[in-house]
Amino acid sequence: MAELPLIVHLDADAFFVACEQAKDPTLLGKVCAVGGRERGIIASASYEARAKGVYTPMPTSKALKLCPDLIIIPVTPGLYSEISNKMFDLCETLTPYVERNSIDEGYLDLSICGFKTIQEVETAVKKLQVRIMTELCIPISMGIASNKLISQIASKLRKPKGFVVIACGTEAEFLYPLSVGKLPGIGTKTELYLKEQGVTIIKDLFHRSDSELESILGSHWRDVMSMARGEDTRRVETQEVQAKSYSEQETFSVDLKEFEAVERIIKRMLDSLMNKLRLEGRRARTLTLKIRYPDFSDTSHGQSLALATDLESEFYPLVKPLLKEVWKKKQALRLVSVRISGVDEGESQLEMFSQVEDKRRKLAGVLDRLNAISKDGVVKKGHQLEP
Amino acid sequence: MKFKINRDHFANGLAQVLNVVGSKSTMPILSNVLIEAEKDQISLTTTNLDLGIRCKIKAEVKETGSVTLPVKRLASIVRELPNIDVTFDGSPNHQVKLSSGGSNFRIMGIGREDFPPLPEFGEEKAYTLQQDELNSMLKNVSYAQSTDETRYILNGVYFNFRDGKISLVATDGRRLAVVSKEMDVPAESAGAIILPAKTVSELSRLLDKGEKVKINFSDRRCAFQIATDKDTSGLIDNVYLYSKVVEGNYPNYLQVIPKETHQRIKLERELLLECVHRAALVCSEKANSVRIKLSSNLLEITAQSPDFGEAHESMAIGYSGPELQVAFNPAFIMDPLRALTKDEVFFEVKDDVSPGVFKTLDSFICVIMPVRLS
Repeated sequence: MAELPLIVHLDADAFFVACEQAKDPTLLGKVCAVGGRERGIIASASYEARAKGVYTPMPTSKALKLCPDLIIIPVTPGLYSEISNKMFDLCETLTPYVERNSIDEGYLDLSICGFKTIQEVETAVKKLQVRIMTELCIPISMGIASNKLISQIASKLRKPKGFVVIACGTEAEFLYPLSVGKLPGIGTKTELYLKEQGVTIIKDLFHRSDSELESILGSHWRDVMSMARGEDTRRVETQEVQAKSYSEQETFSVDLKEFEAVERIIKRMLDSLMNKLRLEGRRARTLTLKIRYPDFSDTSHGQSLALATDLESEFYPLVKPLLKEVWKKKQALRLVSVRISGVDEGESQLEMFSQVEDKRRKLAGVLDRLNAISKDGVVKKGHQLEP
Repeated sequence: MKFKINRDHFANGLAQVLNVVGSKSTMPILSNVLIEAEKDQISLTTTNLDLGIRCKIKAEVKETGSVTLPVKRLASIVRELPNIDVTFDGSPNHQVKLSSGGSNFRIMGIGREDFPPLPEFGEEKAYTLQQDELNSMLKNVSYAQSTDETRYILNGVYFNFRDGKISLVATDGRRLAVVSKEMDVPAESAGAIILPAKTVSELSRLLDKGEKVKINFSDRRCAFQIATDKDTSGLIDNVYLYSKVVEGNYPNYLQVIPKETHQRIKLERELLLECVHRAALVCSEKANSVRIKLSSNLLEITAQSPDFGEAHESMAIGYSGPELQVAFNPAFIMDPLRALTKDEVFFEVKDDVSPGVFKTLDSFICVIMPVRLS
């Protein structure tokens, strides 16, 4: 029996917009996009909007200039992850081996389903695609192939609602005529550069000698060539790979020039990030602040604590000096982002002379529980209040 | 200056003071030993400004005087000299001629004028202890000192003379060891010092030379006079150890010693040590804990690291309390067990987030904080 393509890549089409359309069907077929108002960016654009040149991430102001009738839909908190979970739950009715790569993208491994023919595979996956559309109103594209790489390239080939099956043994045939930009890791700039070197489609790569490839592609040329041959041994990882860092950012509705106001906002973001960290039973060591000036220039700076912590109060003393360190220009700020990294989990050695810390942890736990009751929070710290 | 000395006595004397040298770049003379020839004896002194040691050795002094010489080089030369008789001949330009059998060395010295004097001691508080007792007390606690320089207050052993006893305490903030001994402490002499880690290690090394050790201390410094009456390799009188103390307030250690006993088990010290040691062989830097499980008459020790494997050990014990589990850094269990000599120890636990306590019948307590598992 010939080998079967059993790896599926699933990629939701214009996911955030699709979620909003599922919530409000009057948006269907409209030129619309999910994103921040005036000063934000477009997070997801409908295919109708894409046809008019709106892409992600494009500043909303630019998108509106380009396409004045664009309907901007504000982000609905919680909606996308809720629908994402439902979508992957449906996938798990087909196979337990589902890798949730991101909110709108994932891999399925069908090797335990016992399919005997490629038709059986196709029918089952098609059925899943239809089911997600009918039950959740989310259009998705599917790629079915022998490995992750080919299935991913396949799913992105005929969006939206694509369904591409690559039989085993036809991978090279499938890849040859595609543009080199379809290979993961080859961005627009590299693609352009390769074009100048006479490499437009993947097949062109095979007409070059090793030394030429090395000079065009650099030190990673062997990896690129292995992708070009359609090789990929990565397995579908069912275990969720936990985040290495947590971050939040805020684009202000008006540029902010008051130091204390920005400091308050940073602490507010820190509070919400540390709440997530505590819920996941993790700790972190490093706080990094990034700021953006109105001319879109960025600076960032970070600092680490001696020991990882799950308390925002441990990070508070770092906020002021860090903000002073990054905010050197005498200009207002357009955006600030807070990132917590150096995440540590697993065992933690308890301390003896840490009564203050223990009390703070207890307090944080109580606040977390109280604030879980209502979306807007039951108890607020001073810096969480709008002045 | 000129003297004749026994090679092994000279080498032994230099070995006593050898470890105390300052950083060469700031004051070159701190790498030197001050050698002073007096009547029938020479004294050897080294200092790094925080800590100083002086010892005396018998010698046949023909001409008194003093000079300083690089101590490490000098010690290695003296050890290797071919003949037991050594003559030491200093000249006014601080050059020293060292002869033994057919070997002759000329060594460049520095005049003693720049050598910082050791502080004089006057009316400080003073106590006298047995050397072997103090040594065993130091051994009981010194492993718990902190090596984290940001917690400098904990980089030493706390000597507390109060309430009719001397208590030695060390902690790194995650474990704490205390040992006490009853002694006469007059109210006016009550007081405490934090002895720096380096001084602790030098002191422990020196405390086998005789019977008594006298401690003098003030708020800023302390001195130990270590009798050498049991020494057979040339040391005479006392070895003097002077040290600055760590200045600051030692944390209130009494508050972290649990007041109540919840579950108490009696354990064979060596057996527990062996079991924990074996189980800890599978630990890794990331998974550095052993889990202790108590159930009816059974103590189980397990350890695991995801990328290596796991270990399971069990011991029969007398225990009828509730089943409970708690995890610790294995070194926190092994260190006190290694430092003790009694065959039996008591271990007290409550739950997985409360401290564990080792006790012996003679006023030794070691509190260890658990590791919270994810």
